[in-house]
Amino acid sequence: MHELFIAESVVGSAKKSLPPGVEPESVIEIHVQVGQLDAVVPESLQFMFDAVKASHGMPVAELKIETMAVRCRCPGCDLEFGLDLPVFVCPECGDRHVELLRGRGIFLNGIRIDDGKSMEERESTPL
Amino acid sequence: MDIPIIRDVLEESNARAEENRAFFDRNNVFVINLMGSPGSGKTTILEHTIPILRSRSLASAVIEGDITTTLDSDRLSALDIPIVQANTEPFGGDCHVGSHLVQAALSHLNLKNIDILFIENIGNLVCPAEFYLGEDRKVVVLSLPEGEDKPLKYPLMFRECQLCLLSKADIERHLDLDREKLLFNLGQINGALDILTISAKTGAGLTDWVEWIITQRQTQR
Repeated sequence: MHELFIAESVVGSAKKSLPPGVEPESVIEIHVQVGQLDAVVPESLQFMFDAVKASHGMPVAELKIETMAVRCRCPGCDLEFGLDLPVFVCPECGDRHVELLRGRGIFLNGIRIDDGKSMEERESTPL
Repeated sequence: MDIPIIRDVLEESNARAEENRAFFDRNNVFVINLMGSPGSGKTTILEHTIPILRSRSLASAVIEGDITTTLDSDRLSALDIPIVQANTEPFGGDCHVGSHLVQAALSHLNLKNIDILFIENIGNLVCPAEFYLGEDRKVVVLSLPEGEDKPLKYPLMFRECQLCLLSKADIERHLDLDREKLLFNLGQINGALDILTISAKTGAGLTDWVEWIITQRQTQR
């Protein structure tokens, strides 16, 4: 259950990323990318985020989680490829020393602040 | 108002790990983050490894991670080495040792004249793999009774580690283990992973494991 630690880290990172004068209370959405390889259960992260957000002064913030798919590169034949299963083998030449390009790590990639816009206006302008 | 940003959520955790790293470098200590399932044999392996290292004139210390008890550090105290118990319960009962916990433990640990520091992580094949602590090498202990499918079920762990110790080799003949399949699965996840088979009970493979540590330490320096 590392999701509690990650949820705390998400809130902490979001707070540090707010421009001067913007209060944490005004945060309505926090967007994160979670690597497929990181074994983070989105429902658990969501649950933990909801459990800790108020104590960090962001009572109305919602967490939006996007999974970052694994992408690899083969050093042998230079092929770039995605994985459906955790099998780090080049599908072209069989090289087993493939390089991980993405799909590992947890990144904050946007914060939405309440600026009085309606829900409809917000939804028409994705972050 | 939208604030677009790309920021590593674990930056604070990683920054503390880098501080640990600098501390280890200043003290010329080689650090191994030892991970694996509960009951895979991590503590028993340390009990048998540390005396061999001592016989090779290498002094060890241990940060013993656990959620709540001191049972493992009590066992290791017979080795008469510096040990710090790092329980995660005061930190929220985390199922992994975090870089902040290592930092707190280091303030209680005298690393003078210590060559190798083992961080025995909390028994778990998922969470500990996520976090960099400032270590030189990550090692996973996979006991043979756990079965050949574990690398596929916990890919990050086997992807992150440089060595997999296949432990409890003394009972392999009693198991329905497909060893070829296990090695194949490990290779599917991490083609660069070193693999050693050991038994802390019989001592088989322990010399190879100690040689691996010595070689990796020399490479690091």
